[in-house]
Amino acid sequence: MRNTKIIKIPLIAAPFAAVLSAIVPGLGQLFSHRIKRGLLLFFSFISIIGLFLWRLTLLAHRELTYADKFVKSFSRQPMFVIFISAVLALLWLWIIYDAYHVAKGRKTKGIGIFTLVLLLFFSLGWQISEIDVYKMVKEFPDAWPPLSRILWPWEAAVTRDTSSVEAKAAILADDSVNPPPIPEYIEGKPYIKSTPTYGNMSTLDEKNEAVKGSVLHLEGSGFEPDTVTFIYWEDSIGNEFRPRQDGEYISLITDADGSFTFDLVMPYRLTPPSAVGQQIHHVHARQTSDVGPLKPSEPLLLTIELMLETIFMGMMATFFGIILAIPLSFLAARNLMSGSWITITIYYIIRTIFNITRSIEPMIWALIAVVWVGLGPFAGIIALTIHTIAALGKLYSEAIESIDPGPIEAIQATGANKLQTIMFAVVPQMIPPFVSFTIYRWDINVRMSTVIGMVGGGGIGFLLVQYIRLLDYKSAGIAVWFIAITVAILDYVSSKIREKFV
Amino acid sequence: MLEIRNLTKIYNDGTVALKNISFKVEDGEFLVIIGLSGSGKSTLLRCINRLIEPTEGEILWNGKDVAKADGRSLREVRRQIGMIFQHFNLVKRSSVMTNVLAGRLGYVKPSSSLLHHFPKSDRKKAFEALEMVGITDQAEKRADELSGGQQQRVGIARALMQDPLMILADEPVASLDPVLAHSILGYLEDINKNRNITIMCSLHYLDLVQQYSSRVIGLRDGNLVYEGSNAEIRKMTDGEFKEIYGEEAVRVNAGSLTGGDNA
Ligand SMILES: Nc1ncnc2c1ncn2[C@@H]1O[C@H](COP(=O)(O)OP(=O)(O)O)[C@@H](O)[C@H]1O
Ligand SMILES: [Mg+2]
Repeated sequence: MRNTKIIKIPLIAAPFAAVLSAIVPGLGQLFSHRIKRGLLLFFSFISIIGLFLWRLTLLAHRELTYADKFVKSFSRQPMFVIFISAVLALLWLWIIYDAYHVAKGRKTKGIGIFTLVLLLFFSLGWQISEIDVYKMVKEFPDAWPPLSRILWPWEAAVTRDTSSVEAKAAILADDSVNPPPIPEYIEGKPYIKSTPTYGNMSTLDEKNEAVKGSVLHLEGSGFEPDTVTFIYWEDSIGNEFRPRQDGEYISLITDADGSFTFDLVMPYRLTPPSAVGQQIHHVHARQTSDVGPLKPSEPLLLTIELMLETIFMGMMATFFGIILAIPLSFLAARNLMSGSWITITIYYIIRTIFNITRSIEPMIWALIAVVWVGLGPFAGIIALTIHTIAALGKLYSEAIESIDPGPIEAIQATGANKLQTIMFAVVPQMIPPFVSFTIYRWDINVRMSTVIGMVGGGGIGFLLVQYIRLLDYKSAGIAVWFIAITVAILDYVSSKIREKFV
Repeated sequence: MLEIRNLTKIYNDGTVALKNISFKVEDGEFLVIIGLSGSGKSTLLRCINRLIEPTEGEILWNGKDVAKADGRSLREVRRQIGMIFQHFNLVKRSSVMTNVLAGRLGYVKPSSSLLHHFPKSDRKKAFEALEMVGITDQAEKRADELSGGQQQRVGIARALMQDPLMILADEPVASLDPVLAHSILGYLEDINKNRNITIMCSLHYLDLVQQYSSRVIGLRDGNLVYEGSNAEIRKMTDGEFKEIYGEEAVRVNAGSLTGGDNA
């Protein structure tokens, strides 16, 4: 019986199979002995319906009935709803037709029907992952300025010393009793005075309409001649900002004598007025100018510093990883551990730990390590070390497993002792894979440590995230460039070293 | 002199590889072991220098029981017995020189040898050994850069470094073509005749057996089924050959003929 080919006859008539599949998609196919096909179609159909309902619920979460949800979703994303409904209906019809076809015992391939299933999953995926090509294209101009700064950040890599010349005058805000005196004039020093030395800040009234503040007449002298001068406002608790007038930051240019006059509308307050005491604000006039030679900027220096930190993080993690992975790898090598059930148990335990540890990304280990030892490079090193032990441990143990026992036998046969046998027959076989894996891992660890800072694990990633949060794209660009250059160099060096050893 | 008495080997999985085998090897013999693959030839050779632990029986090497030797005394026995292998078993990534010098490991001070330091006299000896097998010019190459025949010659040189009284050879020519097989066996014959080193060698091809052996033993399923002199093996009949090789005798014999064109 075993070897004779049984032709399976469908259990039911073709039209009946079609009806069954119309009620439960795939059922008709099941009755025609096309078990896999039937189950696959059934589960595909059910999961597509399920996903579709889920998306409808999200699109119209306030509506109660599915009919309402459908209508509301249709009004929000007509293309999506129409497309999925139509294709789903088509699939349903096709499954019915297929059931009929199959029940007639005809040959079927099913490329078309499963293409349709894939198309549905793909379309749902498109909507679920909120892909929006239109937005991507439309908003590209917004992305261009930061992108261009990241691509070419080098103006921010150098800077010059600045010297600043400034003077300030005290202003009493929202009061006129006991105004501060005008500043004392000292010959040869920059000087600014305001008339009067009190006034009202700009505010909004109950209807949210702007009420302009008092106008202060500023007179300055003793500044650098013909130089851009900025006006700053310092409030009563020491916050300093550049006020705007008519939408523009105030800047003026001194005359040939180094003097200026300007009528300043008192700005809006940034902090709420405190209840007690006089509100003394200050108005500053400040000139800054670049002096001296070009020198590396703060972001450049910081980037270099953190890049070094990053490289060393990768190195230390690799180092600790090697030290811990080597002994463990012997315990995870099948050929060494197949002796007794105890050693085999140890083998399986360590292998399992390796596999689980490896499957958790270093970024996640870093999150845990940050909780453990706080922010900083040490957390990153712990995370990378844990992952390295598992990854290297597995590679090493596989290298040990693939050792050729022939030379060991031959060296033993010469009368060598255990240690000599290891040095002459085992070590030469292990060095190449060990070196190669280790360098490879160092490479990975440095790459990893460039991003591990993003979750607080120290290194350049930390800096990069901060620059991006501060919208300082040029500085971020410097960091990005350094990461790219370092990784490229490392890649080259590591592949060269590995070539040597293989 | 080597005397095997009632040697039995049962592997951990229960395979009985050798069953109660006894025979003697006189000094200066060229003893060839024949037998089908799986008949226990490798097991037997490896029991003699205890690369494999015998289950039962005695292995008397010049009066001393190798089966009971341990630690230092075992290593002393091993260094008197050189070994060469079908797959050469060289340390592939080490230089030819290092591989040959490894033959001295049983003699040198362990501590200094760990750093690959060998006395001058040993280096000189290694050169002589390489000279004998004619590959001095390959000394600094990596072992895996050599051809199969050359690698086996390194294997012979390594065995010679032990100043052995006997050499065990486990199918030393099975991975080489017939011309090279004769060359390698020629070296072993030379060593055997001129240095009076006992050779114990397993071989597959009947014509090689007939040409090089001084005496032959045959194994079949771990039993010793044949013992005969060179003269006897030269006139061995098909029937006797079947005794050893069982029903597949014809095929093996055919193989031996292809290997023996230039005998
Ligand atoms: N490590 C081992 N464990 C279990 N059985 C083995 C082992 N090595 C060899 N054997 C078995 O012992 C028998 C003899 O093997 P072997 O000595 O290699 O034969 P030969 O060298 O003549 O081909 C074979 O049946 C083989 O399968
Ligand atoms: Mg064998």
